Amino acid sequence: MTFFIVVIRGLLRRPVRTGLTLVGISIGIAAVVALVGISRGFEQSWAAGMKARGTDVVVSNMGSALAPKPFAANVRDRIAKLPGIAATCSIFVDMTSVEDSSMMIISAREWGGFSWQNLKLISGRMPTDAEEPAVVLGQTAAEVLKKKLGDTVQLETKELKVVGIIDGGALVENGSLIISLPLFQEISGNEGKINIIDVRATPGSSEDDVKRLCVAINSVVPEARAMVAGEHVGNSQAYRFISAMSWGTSLLAVIVGVLGVMNTMLMTVFERKQEICILLAIGWKRSRIIRMILWESALLGFFGGIGGVLIGVAGVKIMETLPAIHGLLEPDLSVGLMINSVLIALVVGVISGIYPAWRSSRLTPSLAMQG
Amino acid sequence: MKTLFRNLTLALAFTARLSAAEPTASELAEKLAALQQDGNSYVRLRLDVQRPGEAKVALQIQIKQRRTANATEVVYQVLWPKERKGEAVLLRRAGNQPLTGAIFTPPNTSRALDAAQGKEALFGSDLSYGDVLENFYTWEKQAIVGTETVDRVPCQILESKPGKGQQSSYASVRSWVDTRRFVPLRVEKYSASGQVVRRIDTMSVATDDRKRHIPATLSIRAQKDSVTELDGSRLRHDVIYEDREFTAGGLGEMKVPRTAAE
Repeated sequence: MTFFIVVIRGLLRRPVRTGLTLVGISIGIAAVVALVGISRGFEQSWAAGMKARGTDVVVSNMGSALAPKPFAANVRDRIAKLPGIAATCSIFVDMTSVEDSSMMIISAREWGGFSWQNLKLISGRMPTDAEEPAVVLGQTAAEVLKKKLGDTVQLETKELKVVGIIDGGALVENGSLIISLPLFQEISGNEGKINIIDVRATPGSSEDDVKRLCVAINSVVPEARAMVAGEHVGNSQAYRFISAMSWGTSLLAVIVGVLGVMNTMLMTVFERKQEICILLAIGWKRSRIIRMILWESALLGFFGGIGGVLIGVAGVKIMETLPAIHGLLEPDLSVGLMINSVLIALVVGVISGIYPAWRSSRLTPSLAMQG
Repeated sequence: MKTLFRNLTLALAFTARLSAAEPTASELAEKLAALQQDGNSYVRLRLDVQRPGEAKVALQIQIKQRRTANATEVVYQVLWPKERKGEAVLLRRAGNQPLTGAIFTPPNTSRALDAAQGKEALFGSDLSYGDVLENFYTWEKQAIVGTETVDRVPCQILESKPGKGQQSSYASVRSWVDTRRFVPLRVEKYSASGQVVRRIDTMSVATDDRKRHIPATLSIRAQKDSVTELDGSRLRHDVIYEDREFTAGGLGEMKVPRTAAE
């Protein structure tokens, strides 16, 4: 009988208990995969949205809300004068309840600005001018609102005609209602206000040039903050809070998993006291006993981790189909996250086995005779 | 040394007691009343009404408010669905005077509202016209009647009763107030016989444009198996209104207010 067969048999001796422990770890790891995947995906989908719009720098005032705070539209003029800037585009992004949907992204863009250029029309057309009471829907937004070309969308007090459905190349873009900035400012009572300025650096700018551009913009615009595109969401208080909550909740679930494995392994050591003592009596070294227990707990962690990844991915896929959040989630279920989750589970397994392993190493061969 | 240690302990205990001191009933009521009397504001919300055996009715609504210590004027207007767009209610109350107002149904039907209709349902929901206007935190009798934990948040239970000359369809109202954030997490309104007539639960709390904590999602129950949910998506203060918007004649006009220049 090889060492690993002894390890496997140790786990299979109480299959129900081993199974329940695996379920415990799996739930903890599933929480890590789902929560961290969702919060990372949120940041990445915004970054992809920026990339799709061809934006290098985002100027906004991300406070505690998910949408940035408004500021005066003429801030754009101060930025446009700076060297190293190829183009700017004023935007007002809002997140609000629209018709039957509880939350939608409204993306109001400066008429003629570069943020319109990357939108690929799937059907219909773009608005003819800045004043036309029309809206262009991202394909996911059209699906969520159950709208097709020619339908109307009620935005605040105005009824806007759906003239186009677009593929914006990123979930954020596809989940948005896109309208001209002057029209949105008028219907939302935000005349003269914007909350985002997309900045395109001159072609050929390096990463360092873009960072220097951010510093230059920050020196002339105290009411907002310039950040490299994609980083601005990650720096918002709301995102940081969500991210911290995700990790906090996951950590709690993992701690519960640690306690579960530790309990299982301690029970194993107590129940197999006689067997361990006999192994010591026939010449097994204490280090080998310790390794046996650690391998058992590591295997519990490993298989629990794999189970957790599968449960987490399935859970997220189910959540994506829920009507309340359909179109708003683009979780980051990358291979990296899955490998990290299994590694966390493995480490959890090993840590949980340390104390039971130490207890088992304290046993003496003579205890075998006590029954 | 012993004396020094004892004095230090006493001082620390006193400081801790001071910092943990809960507000009195009148302080709490005053603070909550002031939070409601917050001048001009504009609210956008979604109102869902679920009655037993019926399909859920969802409305997008805009609320224009002018609330001061002396008078309250509120206009509720339906933005969506299309077939109900333009339905509007104007509600007014000056001090302890009876409620007045008007109801507008497109294209041009308008009727006056009086105090006797205060118990009628707002847009068929579990909320009455009277509930919209009533600021029971300004009532004369306020008392803390206990403490209770609501959704793991410790709350003071504030009981409000109308005094002489203060008209209400309720005999008393109890509010479970989170005194750390000054948000009522539950409100129960009682009849003279002590029955709960209406219960309002705060489902989520958000921070408004003045960085105050406010209920963002409310669940209201007035009848068995019927529930109304209010889900706020926007609140703006310091908005500009024309007087005409708070008249029966102005109810047919739908516009979003501008924010006063900063």
